[in-house]
Amino acid sequence: MRVLAALFLAAAVLVGVEFAKGAAHTGDVHLADPCQARPFQGDVLQRVVLAGLDHAACRLHTSREELVLSLGTTSKRKEAALRAGLLRAVDEAERRGEIPGLLAGPIRELIRTAPINKLISGGISLADLFGP
Amino acid sequence: MSARSLLVALVAAIVAIAFADSSIVVLGLPQLYTRFETSITGVSWVVTSYNAAVAVTALALVFLVHRFRPRFVFGAGVLLFLAATIACAVAQSLWFLIAARSVQGAGAGLLLAGALPLASARVWTLAGTFGAALGPALGGVLTQLFDWRAIFVAQAPVAAAGLYAAFRSEDETTAREGWRPSLARTLPANACIGLVFGALVGALFLAVLLVIVAWQYSPIGGALIVSVLPAAALAARTLASRLPGLAAISGGAALLGAGLVALALLPSASVVIAMCALALCGAGLGLAVPGLSNAALDPGAGLTRSGTLTIGIRHLGLVAAIASIAPLLASDLPPAGDRAQLKATQVLLDAPIGITDKVPIAVDLRGAFDKAKDGEIPDLAEPFDARGARSDAKLAAARDDLVAAIEESITRAFRPDFFLAAGFGAAAALLAALVRRRLVT
Repeated sequence: MRVLAALFLAAAVLVGVEFAKGAAHTGDVHLADPCQARPFQGDVLQRVVLAGLDHAACRLHTSREELVLSLGTTSKRKEAALRAGLLRAVDEAERRGEIPGLLAGPIRELIRTAPINKLISGGISLADLFGP
Repeated sequence: MSARSLLVALVAAIVAIAFADSSIVVLGLPQLYTRFETSITGVSWVVTSYNAAVAVTALALVFLVHRFRPRFVFGAGVLLFLAATIACAVAQSLWFLIAARSVQGAGAGLLLAGALPLASARVWTLAGTFGAALGPALGGVLTQLFDWRAIFVAQAPVAAAGLYAAFRSEDETTAREGWRPSLARTLPANACIGLVFGALVGALFLAVLLVIVAWQYSPIGGALIVSVLPAAALAARTLASRLPGLAAISGGAALLGAGLVALALLPSASVVIAMCALALCGAGLGLAVPGLSNAALDPGAGLTRSGTLTIGIRHLGLVAAIASIAPLLASDLPPAGDRAQLKATQVLLDAPIGITDKVPIAVDLRGAFDKAKDGEIPDLAEPFDARGARSDAKLAAARDDLVAAIEESITRAFRPDFFLAAGFGAAAALLAALVRRRLVT
């Protein structure tokens, strides 16, 4: 009987270990509210793109992640939200001093006119900024 | 080895194979899933059809088996089993395979009923335990070394040898036992056995799907992981004989349920934790089944008839569990896949890699998920490798974090199903406690 009791104790310990390792929240998805400001890591370009995605997601009442997953299909509403989100991100970066005023203008113009997929993937170079 | 011993060994071998067939094909299910482009419910019918046919055949035979010579029942069963096994091996469509499996199950029901007087209750029970326990491992090895058809090709020679045993065996004079309508006293033990085998579906069918389809282990790897269950079951059999009858039966069923609860609560794709949980399931099985089998195989009620009844009830338990678990899993996996996509995108967007990598990979994720079947981890190597993951440690780390996040989401989807299987184990433990006077003498 002691061996049987030991096996039940082992089962209880195993379940305890599982809860300690986060079993109660396995697979939970907690998506951040895109309308709440949050810091981003990486270079200026990455911070602007991620902030722009957040602003666009907020505008579209969705999450940043759902917006990115839907980028395979485009709509005018989504494109308008993405451009507006990126413009706002550039304004914020300029206010923080991360983008010089000299460059902010051309960047805004690029955001208004460049293909949206190129903008979101950060495929922007100096040649793009100053045109052909 | 004497001629008699050889014949008993051949009978035991085909009995083991017939019991193994309840689960031997489980490790081949992912290949069948892909080969026949079907759903989880569709592929589960390859398992369900066999077990349902065994159950129906055996339960019908309870009323008839006393009229026939065991050699005839056994021989007819082996012949049908052999023919259907060959049909399974050459099946070109899922529905043909399911039909052949049904015929194979009918043959198994006959041969298992006829084998009991030809071998002995002890040899029959031991062969059945070995077969049921080793089935998944054997299926895994054959599937990986060859393919799923090898599972059936390998059985044919054993069935042919069983046919030889049928011709050469002599009927035991006690086998024609006549009608003894006192099977009622075996019903409580059989009901518990049915519930225990229903719980076993969680430990075998679900655990194998989780390890191979969701965690992407090979069939041999999956077989090694799941093999801890039969190993623990065999080890626990020695303990069962030293415990009071009810403690072994009720405690074993409860332990099986506890192991399934541990499988339900897996916090991640952790092989160590899964193997510990499977070991608990195996120990519970090894404790509960011997005592229940002794109570169910009642010579006073007619060994052949009581054996036939227990075959039917065991497989009915398997069918009831698969029929309730497979559709539940099939409904849980698509939303789990959606959550996995979101979680993976979140991990990717937060990863310390360049924006020129993360957004295109996130967009490619959607396509990868669309291509993957329900419950499978999508192939993420290409989007990452296209961007240099093989030589970029940060990109490789991001890929690994992403895969871990997806595996967690898919693992969580199995939770309700493991809990349902645990419910079968808990019901068996409770029933055993309620009817204890009928189980132990």
